Amino acid sequence: MMPASPLPKPHIEVDRLELHYGSVPAVRGVSFNVLPGEQLTLLGPSGCGKTTTLRAIAGLEQPTAGEIRIDGVTVYSSQARINIRAEKRGLSMVFQSYAIWPHMTVFENVAYGLRVRRTAAAEVAEKVHQALDMVQMGSLASRRAAQLSGGQQQRVALARAFVFQPSVLLFDEPLSNLDAKLRADMRIELRELQHRLGITSVYVTHDLEEALAMSDRIVVMRDGLIEQTGTPDEIYRLPNSAFVADFVGSANLIRGRHRTDLDADGLVVLETSAGHIVHAMAYGRPVGTEPVVSVRTVHLRLSTEPPAATRNVWRVPIRQTVFQGDFTQVHVGWGDQHLVARCAAMEPLAVGRDVYISVEPRHVVVLGA
Amino acid sequence: MSEAAVPSPTSSISAQQLAGYGVAAVAAVLVLYPVFFLFQAALDVGDPQIRPPTAYGLDNFSGIFQYPQILLNTLTVSVAATVMALVFGFVMAWILTRTNVPGRHLFEQLMAVPYYLTPLLGALAWSLLGAPESGFINQIWRALGGSGHLIDINTAYGIAWVMALFEGSVAFVMIAAVMKSMDPSLEEASQIMGASRLRTMLRITLPLVVPGVLGAAIFVFAEMLGSFAAALVLGLPNRYYVITTAIYQLVQQYPPKIQVAAAMGVSLFAVMFFMLFLYRRIVMSGSYVTITGKAFRPRVADVGPLRYLLLGVCVLYLLAAVGLPLATLLYASLQKLAVAFPAAGNWTLDNFRVAVTMNAVRSALANSLLLGFGTATIGVVLMGLLAWLIYRSRLPASGLIEYVVMFPQAVPRLVFAFGLMWAWVVFPVPIYGTLWLLLLAYLTVFMPLGVRTIAGVMLQIDKSLEECAQMCGASWAFRVRTVTIPLLVPGLVAAWLLLFIASIRELGASILLMGPHSKVITPSIVESWFGTSTELTAAMALIQTLVVACAMVVLVAVTRRVGAHSVE
Repeated sequence: MMPASPLPKPHIEVDRLELHYGSVPAVRGVSFNVLPGEQLTLLGPSGCGKTTTLRAIAGLEQPTAGEIRIDGVTVYSSQARINIRAEKRGLSMVFQSYAIWPHMTVFENVAYGLRVRRTAAAEVAEKVHQALDMVQMGSLASRRAAQLSGGQQQRVALARAFVFQPSVLLFDEPLSNLDAKLRADMRIELRELQHRLGITSVYVTHDLEEALAMSDRIVVMRDGLIEQTGTPDEIYRLPNSAFVADFVGSANLIRGRHRTDLDADGLVVLETSAGHIVHAMAYGRPVGTEPVVSVRTVHLRLSTEPPAATRNVWRVPIRQTVFQGDFTQVHVGWGDQHLVARCAAMEPLAVGRDVYISVEPRHVVVLGA
Repeated sequence: MSEAAVPSPTSSISAQQLAGYGVAAVAAVLVLYPVFFLFQAALDVGDPQIRPPTAYGLDNFSGIFQYPQILLNTLTVSVAATVMALVFGFVMAWILTRTNVPGRHLFEQLMAVPYYLTPLLGALAWSLLGAPESGFINQIWRALGGSGHLIDINTAYGIAWVMALFEGSVAFVMIAAVMKSMDPSLEEASQIMGASRLRTMLRITLPLVVPGVLGAAIFVFAEMLGSFAAALVLGLPNRYYVITTAIYQLVQQYPPKIQVAAAMGVSLFAVMFFMLFLYRRIVMSGSYVTITGKAFRPRVADVGPLRYLLLGVCVLYLLAAVGLPLATLLYASLQKLAVAFPAAGNWTLDNFRVAVTMNAVRSALANSLLLGFGTATIGVVLMGLLAWLIYRSRLPASGLIEYVVMFPQAVPRLVFAFGLMWAWVVFPVPIYGTLWLLLLAYLTVFMPLGVRTIAGVMLQIDKSLEECAQMCGASWAFRVRTVTIPLLVPGLVAAWLLLFIASIRELGASILLMGPHSKVITPSIVESWFGTSTELTAAMALIQTLVVACAMVVLVAVTRRVGAHSVE
C-alpha cells in the first residue's frame, strides 16, 4: 500500500536567499517553494526585490548567500560554492522588454532554443509552427521581428520561451508594457496556456489584479523580505499586515484597545479611541492588547435606513463622495478618523447627510503582529 | 535523482575571464608602455646619450621655462581659437536648433564636414589664400590698389582662425546637443507665468545651457592645446612655435633635446588630463540638461525675414571652413604656378599625374591605405572586445580598464608618439622605422575613438537580448556569435570606417614615427609643402580627401541603416 497522497516534492526551492548590490541589500533572506505545475507569483511594489529574486533563480544574478534547488539539484549554494550558469539550468524566461532579436525573423526567434539543443531541422520546423499556432502567430512566421506590434512581440516571446519544453518558465513583468485592454486579454490567455502546458512557473508583477487572476499562490514581498505567502483568496481575505491589506486592494485600518471582557461568540472586540466598539475575527492569529484590524473598502455597506444587524453598525456623516464609474468612493466621518467605502451603483448621497454604515464581523480581520 | 552539481563560481566563467583579462592586458601594455618611457625621459637628467638614465630629477621641467615665448604663444593661440570656435559653435547651434532658418536639417548634417576635412587641409588652403606675400586674397587686394597685405595667416590669430574653423564643428555638435536636450516646456512654463521672451531667455534658457557650453569650452580648449597641424604649417615659416610644434622641433633638430621635449610633453599631458577631468565633472554633475540624454523637439522661434540673414551666416561659415579651402586647393592643384589670377597657359593636370606616378607619393599612399585597412580591421576586433569587457562583462576591474583605454584621449598624439618612439627604440624586436610601429601607434591612439563608437551601439542593445539567449540554453560563445555580433555589425562597420578615416588622416603620431622606407601620406603632404611644390601638395591633399570622402559616404549610408534597424 502506498500512502494516500504524499506531499508533492517541490520543483523549485529557494532557501534563505540574499542578494546585495555592493553594500545595498536587494534581497534580505527569502525562502519559498514552488510545487510542480504550480504558478507562483512574486508580488510587490518596485524595488521590493521580486525581479532580483527571479533573476537569481534564472542564474542571471549571483546571490550573496542562500541556496536554490531546482528538481532537487542545487543550482546555487553559497556554502557549497555552487553556481550553475543560467544556460545550464534548463529554465526559460519571458522578459519585460520581450527581448525579441531584431535581426531574426519570428521563426528564427522561436527556433533559437531548439537549435541550441541541436534539434533536427524537420523537428524544429514542426515544433516552431506548433508553438506559433498556440499563440496565434502562425501566419507571421516569416516576419522580421522589428515589424511586430507590442502584443505580437509578446506572443513571440512566449512561444520562444516554451517551445523547447523547459522545466520551468519564468516571467518578468511580461504584460507591463501592453495597454490596459490587451493586458486583460493576455492575462486570460497566459493562464490558459500555462494550464495547457502544465508547466511550473514563477511570475513577477506589481499589478495586483494580474497576480490575483493568474496565480495558484502569491508571495507578497517588501523591502527584500517576504511579507505574506498564500493563495490569492487568502491574501485578499486575510492580509496579515497593514502593508498587505493596503497593497492588495484598498482597506481601512482601525486600531483599538482589546476589550477581552466583551469577547463572545468567537469574536474579538476592540474599542477605538473615539469609543466605537468593533467586532472582529482573529482567524487563529494572536490578538495583542492593541490590535489593528483591516476592513476592505468594498465590505463596508451604506444605507439610509438602520440595517437589521446589531453589531458593527454606526451612524455617520458623509464627508465626500467621488464618482469613479463602476463604483462610488464615499468618505464618512467616524470619530476622529475617516472610513472609506466603495459602493457599487448607488443613488447619489448629499455631503453632510447622516447614513448608517455597517460591516459583518467576518470581514473585520485582525492583522498579525 | 539529484545529479552531482559541479562547477564553482570561479571556474564557470573562466573562459570569459581569461579572454577578458588577456585583451585588457594587451591594451594596458599598448597604452602604458610608451607612457612609462615618456615619463622616464622627462625625469632623466643624466647624460642624454646613455639609456637607461643615469640620474633622475625635475630639472627638465624647469628647463621648460627657458622658453617663455612658447608658453605664451600656446596660450594666445589656444585661447583665441577656443573663443572663436565657441562663437562659431554657439551661433550655428542656436541658428540651426532654435530658429526657422531655411534648410536647417541639411545644414545640420553639413556641419560635420569641416571636422572630416582636417585642420591640415584647412591650413594648406588658408596659407594659399592668406600668406602675406603670395596669398591669393592679398594678391587680389594689391590688384585692387591696396598696399601691403590685407590679412596675414602666418600669425597667432591666423593659426587660431584655421583651428577654430575646424574645431567649430566639434563645439557645434556639443552645444547643439545641449540645446536639443532642453525640455521646451521649461521655457513655456516661464512664459505662462508671465515672463517676457527676453526675461525667459536670460533667466531660464541661458542658465540651463551654461554648464553644457562651459563643458564644450573646456573640451575644445584641451583639444586646442594639443593640436599640431595648423600651427606647424602656418607657424613654421615665421618660426612661431606653440608647445606641440616646439616638441616636434626639439625632437627633430640636431642634436635633439629629448629630455626637455619629454618634460614639455608630460606637462602638456598633465594640463590636458586636468581639463578633461574637469570636463567630465561638469558633464556628470552640473548640467541637469544633458544628463537625461532624452531628445526633445526644441522650440523653434519664427525670426521672420531675419532668417535669410541667418542663412547667410550659415553659408558663410561653411564657405570659410569647407567651400573656399577645397576650391582653393583644387584651383592650385590645376595650375603650373599657383597665382590668384588664372592665365590660359597656366592650367595643367601634371600635378595629379605626378602625384599618382611619383614613387615616393605612391608608396606613401599605398602604405597609408595598408595601415588604414590594418588598423581598422585589427582595431575593430580589439576595441570591440574592450568595449564588451568594459560595458558588458561585469569583470571586477572593468572601471580601471576603461580609464586605461580612454587614457590616450588626454595625450596629444604627437606626445604619445614621442613616448612610443622612445620606448620602441630600445625594444629588442626591431620594429622602429617600420609600418609595424605605426600600426601599434594607431591602434593605441585611436583606442578611445573605436571603443566609444562600438560602446555607443553596444549600450543601445538591450541587455535582455543576450540574457534571453542565455535562458534559451546558449553558451557564451554561441550567444556572442548568434546574438551579440549580428546586432553589433552596423556599429562595427561604422567603427571600422572611422578608424580607417582616422588612420588615413593621421599626422601627429606618424610624423615622428615613420621611417624613410615607411612613409605615409599625411606627413608626406607636409614634407612636400615645405620641400617640393605647393601645387603638387594641393593635388596630394585632394587625393587624400577623396579617399576619406569615399569612406565617409559609406559611413553615412551605414549609419542611416543603423537608424532604420533599431527597434522601437
